[in-house]
Amino acid sequence: MTAATAVNVTHLRKVYRVYEREAGLGAALRALFRRQMQEIVGVDNLTFTIEAGEIIGFLGPNGAGKTTTLKMLAGLLYPSAGDVRVLGYVPWRRERAFLRQIALVMGQRQQLIWDIPVIDSFELNRAIYRIPPAQYRHMLDELADLLDLAPLLHKPVRNLSLGERMKCEIAGSLLHRPQVLFLDEPTIGLDIVMQRRIRDFIREYNHRTGATVLLTSHYMADVEALCRRVILIHHGTMLFDGDLTRLVERFSPYKTIIVRLQEPADLRPYGEVLSQNEDQVSLRVPKSAVARITARLLTDLPVLDLSVEDPPIEAVIEQIFTQEEVV
Amino acid sequence: MRTYLRLLWTFFRISILGELAYRASFWLQIAESLIDLGTALAFVSVVFSSTRALNGWSADELLTLIGVYFLIGGTINMIIMPGMNRLIEQVRQGTLDYVLTRPADAQLLVSIQQIDVWKLLDVVLGMALLVGAMLWHGGLPGPFQLLAFALTLLAGAVIIYSFVLFLATLSFWYVRMENILVIFESMYEAGRWPVDIYPGWLRAILTFVVPVAFAVTVPAEALTARLTWLVLAGTLLLAALALLASRLFWRFAIRYYSGASA
Repeated sequence: MTAATAVNVTHLRKVYRVYEREAGLGAALRALFRRQMQEIVGVDNLTFTIEAGEIIGFLGPNGAGKTTTLKMLAGLLYPSAGDVRVLGYVPWRRERAFLRQIALVMGQRQQLIWDIPVIDSFELNRAIYRIPPAQYRHMLDELADLLDLAPLLHKPVRNLSLGERMKCEIAGSLLHRPQVLFLDEPTIGLDIVMQRRIRDFIREYNHRTGATVLLTSHYMADVEALCRRVILIHHGTMLFDGDLTRLVERFSPYKTIIVRLQEPADLRPYGEVLSQNEDQVSLRVPKSAVARITARLLTDLPVLDLSVEDPPIEAVIEQIFTQEEVV
Repeated sequence: MRTYLRLLWTFFRISILGELAYRASFWLQIAESLIDLGTALAFVSVVFSSTRALNGWSADELLTLIGVYFLIGGTINMIIMPGMNRLIEQVRQGTLDYVLTRPADAQLLVSIQQIDVWKLLDVVLGMALLVGAMLWHGGLPGPFQLLAFALTLLAGAVIIYSFVLFLATLSFWYVRMENILVIFESMYEAGRWPVDIYPGWLRAILTFVVPVAFAVTVPAEALTARLTWLVLAGTLLLAALALLASRLFWRFAIRYYSGASA
């Protein structure tokens, strides 16, 4: 493991044991005495490496194992098998030196204290992380500046809007200037403007501090804006690890041909017509047939303009997950 | 250790600042404490209107006991109970994850994470009662009694803390545990009388199942010079064992929470 490697995961596996019971009063009563146990595989055989300073997006539908993976990396869950190293530490040992260098933000779970002003919650974190006063002030100023926190700091958390609260949650988690950030759906429930705000901030923080960021999100826009590299998890296993652009190449067997014609024509014989307005037509064609169909279009028809595009990433990913669901 | 004291102070300061915004709760707490105190004193005066001693406890000695009851109860309700109630909440909502990612001892953090400042009033009342009882009795207890009192007071608080932590930690397995803390609170009320006035079975429960006897009766015995060496040593030993056991149980629970055991 080199100095530049932030995260190293090999053959990681997590199995949950859950108790379950059938519906009905009788089953509920029986469950009081004897409970049925079932093993559920959370994640299985994950192997990847993340370099320091990278921003990685974890993609996958609900229950895919994204949060389980993040929790194992943050030291909250004990792996059932395999090896995890973050900054050279074994996370589940939760050594102070390790915890001091990481931060976890979960969009759905709040850590600021509800009844007290934001600045007091920050003050608590300062005491817990033992941040030297000068560094604390410097970091607080910087974060307040980047996220426009000044008007919020002295309000009790319960008086903040969801977006304002999220900004404060994130700022509070960064006061100790962590080297590795685990962000579990940090933009969930936020409006577009606030999502972009948070996104810009994450990029800026990564830029300024060189911190490694591991992000899960349901919003493709988050991932497209921040992450060059994505890891796709589905049913606990890794489907893909690499550049976002390569994801499309690899998983979409189709391309979209957009043609502008001098006069309208029926293009159905050439491929699946996705949309047609006036003289512009979008065609979906198998990737392997792109060259042949393009040539035919150009010779057969009075084409003004022609371009070949990849389908939108969101559509590709949706297609991957729904296909997997059927299999 | 100094870091943790500073941490406790930070929690305390923030709670005070937070609570000052709610003046109503200050007046409510005053009313509650005074009603509690009034009830306790009324019972004592009723009892002692018809007798001079209750199972060997004179009126001023019983006042001492009530002082200890307020002192310990106030401390527990100020620092320990709010934190434990919040712990149960955190386990249910999954926000305990945040506590576990902090570079500090998680048990300590959850134990002092919330402070109900106004319960300080009970602590102050308890001390006032102790001073009053002493004046009434006429004369300070000897240095040995004071030392024994301090030690048993600390031991009693530790025993109760360990016990409540144990109950709250059960929430890792059984998600709804608030009620059990309420049961504890009402059992603690039995502590405003010396445990030796209760019938044997109840005394046993109050000593070994819900260790109220150690928290209230024993320190009061120390201050009223009826404590034997044996009980003193036993109490200190029990406190040490209780602390150790609750610590081990907590760590086991955390391992279970992260899926490292069971």
